[in-house]
Amino acid sequence: MTETTPTTRELDPLEFDKPRVSIRKPEHRFDTQGELPDAARVERAMNSFVRDFGRTAAVYMESCIHCGMCAEACHFYEVTQDPKYTPIWKLEPFKQAYKREYGPFAFVYRALNLKPKVTVDELQQWQHLLYDSCTVCGRCSLMCPMGIDIASLVSQARHGMFKAGLVPHELAAVTERAQREGSPLGATPKVFADRCEWLSDEHDVEITIDKPRAEVLCAMSSIEIMKYPESVVATARIMRHVGADWTFRLDGYEATNFGLLTGDAATQKTLTLKIIHAAVACGAKVVVLPECGHAYTALRWMGANMYGKPLPFKVMHIAEFLAEQVRAGKLRLRKVGKSATFHDPCQLVRRGGAIEAPREVLQALGVELREMYPTKGSNWCCGGGGGVVAIHRADELRHKVFKIKMEQIEETGAELPVTSCANCRQTFDDGQAHFKWDKTMHSLLELVADNLVEDEQ
Amino acid sequence: MSSPLLGEFLRSRGVTRRDFLQFCTTTTALMGLSSTLVPRVATALAQARRPSVIWLPFQECTGCTESITRAHGSTLESLIFQGISLDYQHTLQAAAGDAAERARETAMKENWGRYLLIVDGSIPTGNKGFSTVAGLDNLSLLQEVARGAAAIVALGSCAAFGGIPAANPNPTGAVAVSDVVKDKPIINVSGCPPIPVVITGVLTQYLTFGKLPELDALGRPRSFYGQTIHDRCYRRPFYERGQFADSFDDEGARQGWCLYKLGCRGPTTHNACATVKWNDGTSFPIEAGHGCIGCSEPGFWDKGGFYQPLSTGHWGSARTVGIAVGVGAALGVASAALARKRQKDAEGA
Amino acid sequence: MNLLDFARGPALQWSVAIFIVGVLWRLLGVLLLRTRKDHSEPRNDAAWKGLRLIALRSWPRKEFLGGTAFGEVMGYAFHIGFLLTLFFFVPHVLFFADISRGLFGTDLHGLTGLSWPTLPNGVVMLLSAISIAALVAVLVHRVVNPVKRLISNFDDYFSWLVTIAPLVTGMAAFAHLGGWPYERLLAFHFLSAELLLVWFPFGKLMHAFTIFAARGSTGMLFERKGASL
Repeated sequence: MTETTPTTRELDPLEFDKPRVSIRKPEHRFDTQGELPDAARVERAMNSFVRDFGRTAAVYMESCIHCGMCAEACHFYEVTQDPKYTPIWKLEPFKQAYKREYGPFAFVYRALNLKPKVTVDELQQWQHLLYDSCTVCGRCSLMCPMGIDIASLVSQARHGMFKAGLVPHELAAVTERAQREGSPLGATPKVFADRCEWLSDEHDVEITIDKPRAEVLCAMSSIEIMKYPESVVATARIMRHVGADWTFRLDGYEATNFGLLTGDAATQKTLTLKIIHAAVACGAKVVVLPECGHAYTALRWMGANMYGKPLPFKVMHIAEFLAEQVRAGKLRLRKVGKSATFHDPCQLVRRGGAIEAPREVLQALGVELREMYPTKGSNWCCGGGGGVVAIHRADELRHKVFKIKMEQIEETGAELPVTSCANCRQTFDDGQAHFKWDKTMHSLLELVADNLVEDEQ
Repeated sequence: MSSPLLGEFLRSRGVTRRDFLQFCTTTTALMGLSSTLVPRVATALAQARRPSVIWLPFQECTGCTESITRAHGSTLESLIFQGISLDYQHTLQAAAGDAAERARETAMKENWGRYLLIVDGSIPTGNKGFSTVAGLDNLSLLQEVARGAAAIVALGSCAAFGGIPAANPNPTGAVAVSDVVKDKPIINVSGCPPIPVVITGVLTQYLTFGKLPELDALGRPRSFYGQTIHDRCYRRPFYERGQFADSFDDEGARQGWCLYKLGCRGPTTHNACATVKWNDGTSFPIEAGHGCIGCSEPGFWDKGGFYQPLSTGHWGSARTVGIAVGVGAALGVASAALARKRQKDAEGA
Repeated sequence: MNLLDFARGPALQWSVAIFIVGVLWRLLGVLLLRTRKDHSEPRNDAAWKGLRLIALRSWPRKEFLGGTAFGEVMGYAFHIGFLLTLFFFVPHVLFFADISRGLFGTDLHGLTGLSWPTLPNGVVMLLSAISIAALVAVLVHRVVNPVKRLISNFDDYFSWLVTIAPLVTGMAAFAHLGGWPYERLLAFHFLSAELLLVWFPFGKLMHAFTIFAARGSTGMLFERKGASL
C-alpha cells in the first residue's frame, strides 16, 4: 500500500500533456507524510480537531440521526451504490472523537470508555473517503433533514488528516509546491510573468502587471495559467473593454488554494494573505477572482477570517463582475445564437450564492439557455472538485461520476455546455477524452471575451 | 353446646324448603358456580353442622359488621349468621365483659382446630395499649385464637391489608392479619366495607366445600374479586368513546358519562360492586355519580388524591423541577467550560 | 408499594428529573461552546431570515425525493401519530394538566377558559397503530438498507426500542390486553415512558431539540452567503 515518506524526497514532476493537470502518476504512492509514530499521528489529528471545533460544528455532530439520506444526494454513492460513500460516514472517526474529547458528556465517555479512541488504521482508511471521494460540493448539506452542513465538517476533518500527515500523495505534493513556489502547478511568478508577456504579444492586448495603484486587482488560477492561457487574455480584454483600472500583481495572483483542499490551514492562510496584501498594497477596491470555484470559497467567504477582520475591498468572482458590467450596460456583446446549458460550479453557486450571475451573463450573450435537470443549487457536481481531479487513484471513480454530467447535458440537447470554473472545465476535458464524448465544456469568461463588440481602433 | 344441623335449624325457624333452595340457587350463581351444583350446595348446607365462629374485632370502625347486618329485605343472611354458631361477636352478642370472654374460651376449647375465625380491623404493633380487649392486646389475642382456628377470614380492608389505620403515617404500626398469622389459611375479604353478599357467598362456599375458595394473588376470593370495576362498569362505553364528566354535576356527569377524569379508580380496583352492587343491588358509587375510590385494594388511602385521574402521577414538584434545572444548567456550563479549556490548551500546544 | 405505585411515584419523579438534567446539560454544553465571528461581507444582511430553513428542510427538494421519499413519509407517519397520541389523548392531557398546575399553579383552562382539545379514543388508537407500523417499517429499512445498516449503532436501535415501547404498552393497557391485570399493564406503560425520558438526553432523541439549532445555524450561514437553502 503506502509507505511513510523519507525526510527528503524528489519533487513529483507535473505533467501538462494530459487533459487534466496534476503531478505525474506516482510509481510509489506516499499517502502518509513525515516520520511520525502512529500514536502521534492520532494525537495530532485529534488535537487539531479539538482546536478547530466550535459551537456550530458541535451542534452538527450532535444532530445526526443516521437517516442515511445524505447518501442519496452524493454523486459518489449514486454511481457506486456503495454505502461507505455515505457523506456523514466520512466523519465517523471524528464524530467518535468529538463525543470523546469535546462533547458535553466527554468526561463520561472517557471515564467509562464508551467510545474507543480513534486508531491510525481508521484514519488511514478514511483518507480515501475524505479526499478521493469527496469534492466538498455540499449536495449532502442541501439534503440533510437535520440541516447539517456536512461539507464544512469534511473540510474540518481534513485539517486533522493533514496534521496527522495522512494526505493523499498528489495533494501533499502540489500543496508543498504551492507553499514553496507560490503555485501548485508550476505557475511561479516568473512563469506567470513570462506567459503574460508572451500572451500579450500574441493576442495584442495589454496584460497589466504590478501597477502600483489600481482599483481592480485580478487574480488567476494556475489551471488557467498553465492549461487555459486564453483565460488570461480574456480577462485582459474584458478589463480593457469596460475601461477598468486593473492589474495583476506578482506578489498576489494565485487564486487556487490547495491549503484549503488539503486541510493545511497554515498554507491556506499564507496563500490567502498574499492576495489580500497585494490588494491592500495597490489600494484595490475590488478583487476579481478567476474562474475557479474554491478560489471563491477561499477568499470571498473565508478570506476575511484568515485576515482577522473585514476585508478592505469587495471580492467578486469574474462571473459576478461580468454580470455587474452587464447591468451597467458596459459590456457590448455579439449575440451567440446557439443553445447552451450551464454547469453550476458547486463552490460558486450552491455554496457561494452566485446563482444568477452566470445566467445574467448568458442571457446578455443571447444564447438559448436550456437548464439541465437538476440545476442551480441542486445541480450535480462535476466530480473533480475538492482536489479529487488531481488524485490518480480516484480516476476510475471520478469517471463513473462523470457519466451523470454527460447524461444531464445530453438531455438538454444544448450545443454549448458552459461553466465558470477552470477545475470543472478540466474535469470535463478529462471526462470527454476518457469517454470520447463529442461535447466540449466552454468557459463563460472566454465566451464573453470572444464575443465582445469592440470599437474599431 | 352441640348444635343441630343447619337444615333442621332453618326449618325450625320457619324457612321453607322452597325459600332455602332459592337461597342456595342465588348464592351458587353469585359464587360463579354452575347451576348443576345447586343440589350439592343445598345438601351441604342442610347437613352442615353449625360451625363455631369466633369474630375478633381489632382496630375497626364496625363498618364491616354494619354492612353485613344491612341485609335489607333479606333476612336469610342474618339467619345464616344465627345458623352459624356465632360464639363471639362484640356488636351482636348479648353477653358482655367476663361472660363474653368465657363464651369465647369455651367455644375455642370445645371446637379446637375446627372453628372459623373472622377478624375485622387492623392489628396495632406499636404500643400494646393502642387497642385491647379485656386487657389483652390485639396482637396477643390474635395469635392465641388463631392457633385453634381451621381458617381465618380477614374481613374488610383493615384486616386484609391494614386499611385506614395503616394509612400514612401509620401511627399505631397497624398491620394486616396475614402479617401476623403465617400458618393458617386466610381469606381476605377486602372492601371498606365489603359487600354483604360477598361475605355470605364466601362462607357458603367454605361450608359447602370445606375448603377455601380459589384466591387471587392478594388472597381474595376470585369469584368476587377476579375482575375490576372498570371491566364490568356500565359506564365503560363512555370511557371507550372518550366521553367524560369534567366536574361533578356538569353536563357530562348528568349524562352519566365516565368518571375517569374525576379520579375513578375503577380500572385498578378488584371487587364485585359493578355487578352485585350495594343495598341489595340498588346502586354503587359510580352509579351514584362518584368515582370508585379503590377501597378493596391495599393502601388505597395512600395512592394519591381520590380526584386525581389514574394517568397522573407523582412527577415531583416545582421545587424538584427547579433543582433539576439548576443541576442541569450547572453541568452544561461546566462541560462547556471544560471543552473550551481543552481547546485553549490545544491551541497553546 | 406495588409496581404501579412505583411507576407512578419514585420512578416518575426520578425520570423527569433525569430528563431535565440531561437535556439542559447536553444543550448548554453544546450551545455555550466557542463561536467565531464571521468577518466576511455578507451577501444578504438579514441573516435571521435564514431561520426559515427550520421549516424548509422539513421536506426535501424534489430533486432528492427519489431515494428519500420512503424515509420521509414513514418518518412523518411515525412522528405525527406519536405526537398526536401524546398530546391529544385524554389520559395524557390529564397528566400534563396536572404537571402544569403543579408548576405554574394553573393550566390552559384556568388561564384562558379554553380546554385543551382531545381526540376520540378510537382515533388515537388508530394513530398509535399507524405510528407503530411506521416504526416497524423503518426498523426493517434500517436493517435491510445498506447505507443505514452501515451507519447505524446501538443508539439507533435502543432509541427505536424506547420509542416503540410506550406506544405498544399504551395500546396494551388501553385494550386491557389478554385480560392481564390492568395495574400491571398501566405500570409497564408508565415505566416505558420513563425509560424514554431517561434515555432521551443521551441518544439521538435529542434531535427534537438540536434540529432547531442545526437547521437554524445552517440557515443563517447560508442565507448570509446567499447560498442555496
